[in-house]
Amino acid sequence: MTRQAKEIIIKYIFFVFSLVSVVVLGLIVFSLFREGLPVFGKVSLKDFIFGMEWYPTYDPPSFGIFPLIVGSFIVTLIAILIAVPLGVLTAIYISEIAPQNIKAILKSVIELLAGLPSVVLGFFGMVIVAPWLQETFDLPTGLNIINASVILAIMAIPTISSISEDALYAVPQEFKEASYALGATKYETIARVILPAALSGISTAVMLGMARAIGETMVVLMVAGGAAAIPESLFDSVRPMPASIAAEMGETPFRSLHYQALFAIGIVLFCLTLTFNLIADYVSHKFRQVGSGTL
Amino acid sequence: MEFNIIKLNKVNFFYGQVRALTDISMKFEKNKVTALIGPSGCGKSTLLRLLNRMNDLIDGTRVEGEIIFENKNIYAPDVDPVEIRRKIGMVFQKPNPFPKTIYNNISYGPKLTGIGFEDRDALVERSLKQAVLWDEVKDILNKSAMNLSGGQQQRLCIARALAMKPDVLLMDEPTSALDPISTAKIEELIDELKKDYTIIIVTHNMQQAARISDETAFFYLGNMIEYNKTDKIFTNPDVKQTEDYITGRFG
Repeated sequence: MTRQAKEIIIKYIFFVFSLVSVVVLGLIVFSLFREGLPVFGKVSLKDFIFGMEWYPTYDPPSFGIFPLIVGSFIVTLIAILIAVPLGVLTAIYISEIAPQNIKAILKSVIELLAGLPSVVLGFFGMVIVAPWLQETFDLPTGLNIINASVILAIMAIPTISSISEDALYAVPQEFKEASYALGATKYETIARVILPAALSGISTAVMLGMARAIGETMVVLMVAGGAAAIPESLFDSVRPMPASIAAEMGETPFRSLHYQALFAIGIVLFCLTLTFNLIADYVSHKFRQVGSGTL
Repeated sequence: MEFNIIKLNKVNFFYGQVRALTDISMKFEKNKVTALIGPSGCGKSTLLRLLNRMNDLIDGTRVEGEIIFENKNIYAPDVDPVEIRRKIGMVFQKPNPFPKTIYNNISYGPKLTGIGFEDRDALVERSLKQAVLWDEVKDILNKSAMNLSGGQQQRLCIARALAMKPDVLLMDEPTSALDPISTAKIEELIDELKKDYTIIIVTHNMQQAARISDETAFFYLGNMIEYNKTDKIFTNPDVKQTEDYITGRFG
């Protein structure tokens, strides 16, 4: 076989493999919509999204997922409020401040955190955080928004930290030298040169962290408490969307209305994470700096 | 009147175990342009970066001897490198403006020292005029500095250093990344600036050293081989090695 023919064959082999993964993903999305969309024949989109009552097994059933959406958002939002400062500051410490040996230890600890199975974290939330919350604040249950948010934050920190770290590393050494040469201290350099230059990468990290948190299932299933109602305080239980799907899917008859409603929740979740990813992508392109500052 | 602004006494410098500079003793004259020349790896850039403690940023380096500036050893334990860098400015080989607006590039340093806001516009204008960039950028001060050409960026970096009102300006091959026209502009600028500043410049370009400098020091393998008036170095050097290098027999 000629060298050229080999090159062509290799090219097509790679093409086929990449095609397979794209096609599989496409089929998953297709089946998600095929199973989920029929529910809108019985329930209007408005009633589904903004309906206040999620009673899928009542007679007649009611499929309003607004409490689930609120549950997902509030848990994600608080998780991000906790995880962003921790993740970004950790990244700054690792990439700019820490001495070599501490840097190595910290990095592997964060990687370890990323490798923890979510069920383990959920278990931790259930048997350690929940009883502590319940006793300390005298609550009816420790499985609530705060608990879920903290555990989700722990899950999102490695994502945010490692992507932010890459963004910080990508800031050219020349910027730092220029800043130091003008008599800036290390902290002035970090705050006024390095962070602004890495901002698009850090925003991407935050969006991806959010996408990770909102789609996370096991943790919210185990520690969010599972009450499908609009919460009134941070110590109330909620039922985020992924938890609802995971908890109920096993109980529903195949292609029943409830089954289709769960898939429709899947569609909503899919659209949300897709939006976060698109925003992350947009931010990282939009604020990309030109010239030698390109990240 | 001759006056030495920086004085080196038996300076040795080490990267880890490797000695990069050996027993350098020399004096830099005020309001003169001093060129440091020599082949790659001879230690001339290292020496330049020693003068405003930029080598502090590299791990595992060590300095012996003293560098006297304003009657004080800048490597004395009680000296804050930040203070030194505010008085001894630096321009780098590759133009490195911040990804900020032109205005904010210039005002970056003064903001750190807390110069009042009302003075700042005037300072930006004065610095850009000194760097002969004002006419080209006065209408685009709020545009990103990244849109400027390489030569303009380098003059911006010079203006940025001048905004700190330093006593000494260190230049590390400031024209090596630029085209001949931009290079000529920077050289003119250097000639203009020496009225007010002491300039120490590292260059690989022998003609450039001959054109712009008053004094020239030739370095080789971490040693200072010869240091004299530029005319003398380029017409009748005392040391054979200097002559060989200048005439292009090695380097």
